[in-house]
Amino acid sequence: MGCWCCRQWLNPVHHNAGPDQFVFVLAQTIMKARLKGAQTGRNLLKKKSDALTLRFRQILKKIIETKMLMGEVMREAAFSLAEAKFTAGDFSTTVIQNVNKAQVKIRAKKDNVAGVTLPVFEHYHEGTDSYELTGLARGGEQLAKLKRNYAKAVELLVELASLQTSFVTLDEAIKITNRRVNAIEHVIIPRIERTLAYIITELDEREREEFYRLKKIQEKKKILKEKSEKDLEQRRAAGEVMEPANLLAEEKDEDLLFE
Amino acid sequence: MKSNLHILPSTTDLKIHLQTTDYGNFLNNQTNPLTVSKIDTEMRQKLCREFDYFRNHSLEPLSTFFTYMTCSYMIDNVILLMNGALQKKSVKEILVKCHPLGRFTEMEAVNIAETTSDLFNAVLVETPLAPFFQDCMSENTLDELNIELLRNKLYKSYLEAFYKFCKNHGDVTAEIMCPILEFEADRRAFIITLNSFGTELSKEDRETLYPTCGKLYPEGLRLLAQAEDFDQMKRVAEHYGVYKPLFDAVGGSGGKTLEDVFYEREVQMNVLAFNRQFHYGVFYAYVKLKEQEMRNIVWIAECISQRHRTKINSYIPIL
Repeated sequence: MGCWCCRQWLNPVHHNAGPDQFVFVLAQTIMKARLKGAQTGRNLLKKKSDALTLRFRQILKKIIETKMLMGEVMREAAFSLAEAKFTAGDFSTTVIQNVNKAQVKIRAKKDNVAGVTLPVFEHYHEGTDSYELTGLARGGEQLAKLKRNYAKAVELLVELASLQTSFVTLDEAIKITNRRVNAIEHVIIPRIERTLAYIITELDEREREEFYRLKKIQEKKKILKEKSEKDLEQRRAAGEVMEPANLLAEEKDEDLLFE
Repeated sequence: MKSNLHILPSTTDLKIHLQTTDYGNFLNNQTNPLTVSKIDTEMRQKLCREFDYFRNHSLEPLSTFFTYMTCSYMIDNVILLMNGALQKKSVKEILVKCHPLGRFTEMEAVNIAETTSDLFNAVLVETPLAPFFQDCMSENTLDELNIELLRNKLYKSYLEAFYKFCKNHGDVTAEIMCPILEFEADRRAFIITLNSFGTELSKEDRETLYPTCGKLYPEGLRLLAQAEDFDQMKRVAEHYGVYKPLFDAVGGSGGKTLEDVFYEREVQMNVLAFNRQFHYGVFYAYVKLKEQEMRNIVWIAECISQRHRTKINSYIPIL
């Protein structure tokens, strides 16, 4: 029998309790410290999990709002495309032919929530509008409106992308943290507590053993003493016992020449 | 026909409805789901077939008239091809996207040219578009010019040439076609001005894009070139009795834009062309009205498929 973490100290060898007991007490102190550490760790992790969950809920709400808005904006944009086609004719080939560089680009930044890094996307414009003169002869107004609508849609899309990546990352982080909290709470702490309880019971038992041993020895001594006294009485009664000279009794001492 | 189309719940119902009209069974070979672009392509092909039918039965000078009509589509196709050739795109995919009414025989040969001047020398010289190119610029400036500016300049010389042709032909054709073309010229001037507010197009450049065969020439065009916003443009229009009521109708109830107003006027003039007999204007009017009808049908179909019923009535009614 022994604890999984400190097997060598709980080797129950039944010999003199002295040095063993010392080792047991040491083990107990260490276990207590470990328990304290586990509990602190569990509390910290729980706090982290709570902070992450709070942020998670906020992001979820934002995602729902953005998605609804996205639906509206896309619908609006698709309709303005139809309007523009009605007025300006078919400009799709012109637009496709004139594509060279991207005008809207994205930068990725990092945001930190309770130790978890979340990516955040930010868009920026680069370069001039190469489609400024498209639709100069017909439908320019509708085309301008169309450009604005789709630009709005793209911005919303970028925001939605940031939100969704943070959502997924946070989800992972929360799962891991919760797993750790549960592990500490339901596995590690009970183990330590059981070990601690065992140590305490062992110590108690040792003490009891000590006590018992002492008592037994005392009893034995007492019996021996009674026995020897009885013996002595008997011999004295039989007159065999020579009492040693009592130095303190005032009797004549033969060796003394003078008085 | 138009009055019932906008209550239809889906595009397949649209197809059934169209079968009862002149369009007949043109959508029969299409499988479901019926998308708006399919409807559009089919209608355009039907128009093309009818146009080719007219053309094949025509003699001079009607055939020149027809050539002039196809020039506007040819201009668009040429711009597309030039763009594609400059960016080394495959010719086949661009050819598919060209407008069928604007076909000319040298189209496939476009990909051999490296620069626009090569293109001009090798290919475009043969087409009816050659004089328009020569009109606007010398060869050297072909390369640097912005594609949109080129397109508009070509259109300007085309319109002026067409106008001259109609005028020279005289007779009822001139009576019918010239006002229509004048209106087209002025309309382009207004729209170009409107769309160039806030862009990098300078006033001098803008002035070179105005066709000169309209009522606005010359004072109106000069005033327009100086205009900086919509109100100044409106003041220029007020000098001309024909355009004042059009500008007044802008805004108003129903939120009409200037372009909508212009479309309506064009449709009116085209319909009037059918009141006279024995002139070539009928063909022009027929094609233009057919195009407007196509646009209307596509608009209604888009509204139905995108479930945006509120604006379904903002098409341009004919008659």
